[in-house]
Amino acid sequence: MSTFSSSSGSLASQLSSGAEFRRGLRESLPVLIGFLPIALVLGAQATAKGFQVWQVPLMTGGNFAGGSEFVAVGLWAVPPDLLLIAAMTLLVNSRHLLMGAALAPLVRHLPARKIFPSLFVMCDESWAMGLADAKKRGVFSLPYYLGTSAGMWTTWVLFTFIGAFFGPMIGDLSVFGFDMAFTAVFLVLLRGAWTGFKAARPWFVSLAVAAPTYLVLPGAWYVATGAISGLVAAFFLAEEK
Amino acid sequence: MSNGLIAILTIAAMGAVTYCTRIGGFLLLRNRSLSPRALAVLEAVPGCVLISVIAPRFVSDKPAELLALAITLLAAWRLPLLPTVLVSVVATGLLRHFM
Repeated sequence: MSTFSSSSGSLASQLSSGAEFRRGLRESLPVLIGFLPIALVLGAQATAKGFQVWQVPLMTGGNFAGGSEFVAVGLWAVPPDLLLIAAMTLLVNSRHLLMGAALAPLVRHLPARKIFPSLFVMCDESWAMGLADAKKRGVFSLPYYLGTSAGMWTTWVLFTFIGAFFGPMIGDLSVFGFDMAFTAVFLVLLRGAWTGFKAARPWFVSLAVAAPTYLVLPGAWYVATGAISGLVAAFFLAEEK
Repeated sequence: MSNGLIAILTIAAMGAVTYCTRIGGFLLLRNRSLSPRALAVLEAVPGCVLISVIAPRFVSDKPAELLALAITLLAAWRLPLLPTVLVSVVATGLLRHFM
């Protein structure tokens, strides 16, 4: 990957950044369409759990990481448990550490004033598209990546807000089964991360610990005990390789 | 503290924590590599958190909820995201109504 960064300076500067930005925006369209239903469901769920309508775009714009937002909404109460939600956000988004590390050799030559704002909008999809484009063209295009990210950020914030706004008018979503939507989203995310039973063993440990914890302990301790026991399992299982 | 203030602080904390994860990997790891064990733990993190959050669904005492979960699980295994959500929501709504 380090070969990409060496040649990028001259080539990247010759490309029109406006055109690159628009190319990113254009190629991200299918992803944006995929965002719509999820964003609407998240927004509606959030107001059902006690979010004020205006707090929803505040969260989705300032956080911009869907998985952790579904977790936060799932754990939300009035008032919310700040430490629990912050800790779960850290756990869910810890994958960003790996993503940022993978991106590092491609953006190392750029000035810090460009890198740090750009990393704010790094999500699974924009990261993947930026990296795939770099692989294909041999150079990481920052404006292309920012184009994909800009569409995703705007779509996410706008449609979670719309979901939050119209959610209360639909009424209690659990009557219709809408609260199962986020279980469905999580299961699809898990399926996407599935690489075989062996790699998924820590997940089963998490489930086996979290479910009984939920039955015996009040509050949301089950998330912490489940997640931590899964990670301990991952730590020890890794030795077998 | 008022509930609204705690909510805003929680939302601010989420944003701050998430931004740290975004720049943290770049800052800490740009000049070194992780051990295979650390990598294995990091890779397991999202899955462990997701399954833990939905774990209560697996131990519901209502048959309709368990059946709805089974249908959702099956759909998630076979279908893309949007159809899975639709199948799951419709099945859950119907099962709650009729069972």
